Amino acid sequence: MTKIQLLLIVCLVLGAAWFAWSARLSYRIALFTLMLLGVYFVALPDHTTAVAHFLGVGRGTDLLLYLSLVTGGYTILLLYRRTRQLERKLTEHIRAMAIERAETLR
Amino acid sequence: MFATSNSFVFAIIPCWNESSVLRQTVSELLALGLQVVVVDDGSDTPMRLHCDGLPVHLLRHSVNLGQGAALQTGMDYALAQGAAYLIHFDADGQHDPGAIAEMLAILRQGDVDVLLGSRFLNQTHARAVPWSKRLLLRGGIVVSWLFSGLWLTDTHNGLRGLTRRAAEQIRLTENGFSHATEILEEIRRARLRYREIPTLVRYTEYSRSKGQSMGNSVNVFVDLLLHKLLR
Repeated sequence: MTKIQLLLIVCLVLGAAWFAWSARLSYRIALFTLMLLGVYFVALPDHTTAVAHFLGVGRGTDLLLYLSLVTGGYTILLLYRRTRQLERKLTEHIRAMAIERAETLR
Repeated sequence: MFATSNSFVFAIIPCWNESSVLRQTVSELLALGLQVVVVDDGSDTPMRLHCDGLPVHLLRHSVNLGQGAALQTGMDYALAQGAAYLIHFDADGQHDPGAIAEMLAILRQGDVDVLLGSRFLNQTHARAVPWSKRLLLRGGIVVSWLFSGLWLTDTHNGLRGLTRRAAEQIRLTENGFSHATEILEEIRRARLRYREIPTLVRYTEYSRSKGQSMGNSVNVFVDLLLHKLLR
């Protein structure tokens, strides 16, 4: 096992533990499964490469790169939409307040 | 007679961190006998400061939301107050209040729902526009056409006149400056009858400093595009 593998596995375990600490049971199970999956692919990179070959990609690293690009982009769009929805709610709230507190000066 | 007939005309002035020019603008509109709605869009110091002793309707967003949001707030308020006609008017003194009488005369004839001010219908008015501004506005025209399908001569002119019916149907959800294009989309969607009218824009150092920059126009475009795709 190389040093980077050790480092990555430690990060994965600590990260999962950190988030699982206060989460509900269902989240804990999901997190634990994800963590195991991560550890598995870090510990046995040849298996990632096998999956990559199966999909027609040369290296496991490249497969991961492609997948993370897609999920990353998707996440950004989702977050953008979420921000926009929040902005809309905020606007409605502030507008209602402004109208309620409208003053007629003389 | 003139004053009473204008008492159901509401001028909506969105403002954010304006100087005392605001007071001048408001006074000119009050002199026409209009109801003036000042929407303070979360200015650092409340714009009430500039409205002392002026009989205006004063609304304030507790947080800065953008000009589009301020306009919509003003329209909601004016409609609730029973407005028959609504005028969008910029705070920075760039619009000529003298145009309003003619706008109202046209709206009252009932053939048009929305009047849009344009700097480029009249050669003399057009020449008053600085060339960099002209270039920017050309871009605005093309972008607005792409999004709304309406080809106008000036899409980012803050002076507009609306009938009550039109204001009831237009709903601005673009808080920032992309509202200028969104309003055209709304006109198209609600099949409102519109017309452009020539207006003079007075470029002062102040109004130019409050105006939109080249850089921000990129933001506006990205906003429009993304908002369209991600409702």
